[in-house]
Amino acid sequence: MSNPLLAIERLRVDFPDVVAVNDLTLTVGAGEVCGLIGPNGAGKTTTMRAISGLQECTRGSVKVNGHELASEPDELKRQLGFMPDFCPTYDQLTASEFLDHFARAYDVPNRTKRIEECLELTWLTEKTNALCEELSRGMKQRLVLAKTLLPDPKVMLLDEPASGLDPLGRIELRKILLQLREAGKAVLISSHILTELSGFCNTAAIMERGRLVTFGTIAELGQKMGRRQMSVKWRADDGKALEILKAANLKNLADTNLGATFDFDGDTNVLDELLKTLVLQGVRISEWRGTGDDLEQIFLQSGAKELM
Amino acid sequence: MKLFDNPIFITQKRLVHRGGVLAAALIAGLVGASLLSGLIAYLADPMNFNSFRSSQEAGKMFYGWTIGVEILVLVIGGFSRISRVLGEERKAGLWDSNRLTPLKPCQLVTGYWLGAPLREFYMAAILAAIGLVIVLLGRLPITLWLGSQVLIFSTALFFGLLGVLVGMTFQRPQGGVIFLVAFIFFQFPSFAMPKYMLTNFLLPTYGIANLFRDSGDSGNDYSLQEWRGMPEIFGVPIPPILLSIALQAFVGFFLWRAAVRKTANPFQPPLFRWETVALFGVLLIVQNGLIWGIWRGQFPTAANGGNFFDGQSLLPTVHGGTLLLATVVLAFVSPQPESVRVKALRSGIKDFAAIFPESSVLLALVLTGVAAMVLLSQFAFSFGSSWEIYLVVIGNLLDFVLIYSLLLEFCRLRFRRRALGFVALWLFILCILPFILGGVFSTGAIAKLSLLAPGVIALGDPTNENMNNLLGIVVGHFGIAVVLFIGWQRKWKELLARAV
Repeated sequence: MSNPLLAIERLRVDFPDVVAVNDLTLTVGAGEVCGLIGPNGAGKTTTMRAISGLQECTRGSVKVNGHELASEPDELKRQLGFMPDFCPTYDQLTASEFLDHFARAYDVPNRTKRIEECLELTWLTEKTNALCEELSRGMKQRLVLAKTLLPDPKVMLLDEPASGLDPLGRIELRKILLQLREAGKAVLISSHILTELSGFCNTAAIMERGRLVTFGTIAELGQKMGRRQMSVKWRADDGKALEILKAANLKNLADTNLGATFDFDGDTNVLDELLKTLVLQGVRISEWRGTGDDLEQIFLQSGAKELM
Repeated sequence: MKLFDNPIFITQKRLVHRGGVLAAALIAGLVGASLLSGLIAYLADPMNFNSFRSSQEAGKMFYGWTIGVEILVLVIGGFSRISRVLGEERKAGLWDSNRLTPLKPCQLVTGYWLGAPLREFYMAAILAAIGLVIVLLGRLPITLWLGSQVLIFSTALFFGLLGVLVGMTFQRPQGGVIFLVAFIFFQFPSFAMPKYMLTNFLLPTYGIANLFRDSGDSGNDYSLQEWRGMPEIFGVPIPPILLSIALQAFVGFFLWRAAVRKTANPFQPPLFRWETVALFGVLLIVQNGLIWGIWRGQFPTAANGGNFFDGQSLLPTVHGGTLLLATVVLAFVSPQPESVRVKALRSGIKDFAAIFPESSVLLALVLTGVAAMVLLSQFAFSFGSSWEIYLVVIGNLLDFVLIYSLLLEFCRLRFRRRALGFVALWLFILCILPFILGGVFSTGAIAKLSLLAPGVIALGDPTNENMNNLLGIVVGHFGIAVVLFIGWQRKWKELLARAV
């Protein structure tokens, strides 16, 4: 990556009895959404707090759009939006007053208009004049997201952003994240619920016990993990399909009713050939699916599952 | 950025107004109006009131009550409000959210400092206005109103800064109130010697009482006799209002810097070492300057204590205050072991060179040196005959600060979160228990073993006491410090060994 918006190099954070983040190096470029994945206690939140400057780093460097945290913290603050894993709001302020507070703090131009935009973007326009204490947890979560979006930061850190959202809210969050990706933002998003991240993350970093287990694009990681589980289904069973599969010497081949599953760690061209053979032999294939290129599978294969 | 554009201030103002200010304003108005109506009733028919001999006396009484309520509201109420608001916002995560904005630390501090206690400011303004009417109706000099209001508001600002720092430091919002109660508790002994104790100027009790004393008809305020005239610092008379404001500004300057520094980076100590030494040194110089006129450098031979107090109790009280002040500043500067370990990890230095610059032990030695130089002012012209007293006092101070700083760091290393409890336990055993046992067994010999005793006894009864005996106790205490030093060193080494 030529010029990453977020560059973390050899970051280390020490707690009294544990190294919370150890030698972490990763980059997030413009238009990238990077999923920071790991079980509880892996160091995801500490990493985000360290990037934002809320947590003291033992060593290492954090750069946001070229601005170093240690030497240019003020410039870094202007370029960075951080949404914590809980929703700190002023209960006695209205949603618009809450946003006004931060718009003033960030010296946002055209404050009123920008506040309206952010409220609209997070579907809170109806709640403009509602007190924060009257908002549900999910609404508060969206309000804090609106606050994070206010100054239009280049880099966004979202710590478990969907944890309080209902299914509809999660879908809408997904849309916002895709919009941010389109807008060229660099987004680092943490979660231990992998289905949340699937679909819009183009890179992923898997952490375990403070260490980075693996990092790369989803495709790279899929390949890196090698073995993927395949699932195939056909319409009529005449035994032919299973025979072809058995002849291919596949690992862990299992017969499922009108279908089969198997593990595969070879060249994908071989898989294509196998599918071609099945079709040419007259097997009516209804499903041909690899489960190894989603985040859940990558995570499970990364070896970071012990703590789950 | 102007105060009224400061988002923290604006938000605090919104929160205060949303919480309601009318009821608070009405309460202040009713209290003030009640006092005012009392004065009006007296003025309308003085014969019905036997307690006052003149309108001025009545005016002083009613104005005294008015500012009493004002102090309660503004100083105590404002302090607790600021520390509580900050404590709650820290807990809620709003403090961190604000710290992540491009607002400067000084803007954050100002916003909370002046914004959080707005309700108390409104109430105080109403009381101050009613107070002015009382002063005018009571035919009291306007300087009484002006001087007392300046002092009350400067004290409120001073305590407000203290509230900011307490709110940023204490884990629980109630911590601030405990701090305030402790502060006021330690103020009481100084009422016995008003003109000579620094605390009467830091909290402007002397300044306000002095204004009342010098405002026209003294009436029956005989209890204020000791509060008349100007205090002197090394023989130079200083107006009490000026001294109070100067002291509050000086200490407030360091509180401000500490609050701003903690806002910018909560992981660093609130005071630099030079700031600690300057604060400690200047406060000791002022305190010793205030009592200089009694012995004029010839302690204990040429006592000139005046008529209103027992001069012998003065220097032991100052010694006790010095120990207390050292305790507070060392607690502020004493490092958290974890931060030293992280620094060692960064620098790669893992021997004692990594510890000493960070530890408060070195600072304890410096503070003792500063105190020794300042205390010399009381002994300057009688050193030949009283050097043993001086030696006992300085030895005692050295023992105390060394043991305290070693104990604090040792307990932090050994007991971590439970450290404060163990420090308190050991200080109780070393300082208080000997007095209790001395009382139980009716013998002064055990009481003398207290870590507090040698200096206090040497200064309190310098002619009758055997100084060699006290010196022996001081040496014994130093032995405790040496044992602690060995344990302290071992614990630090264990911690640094983990710095990998």
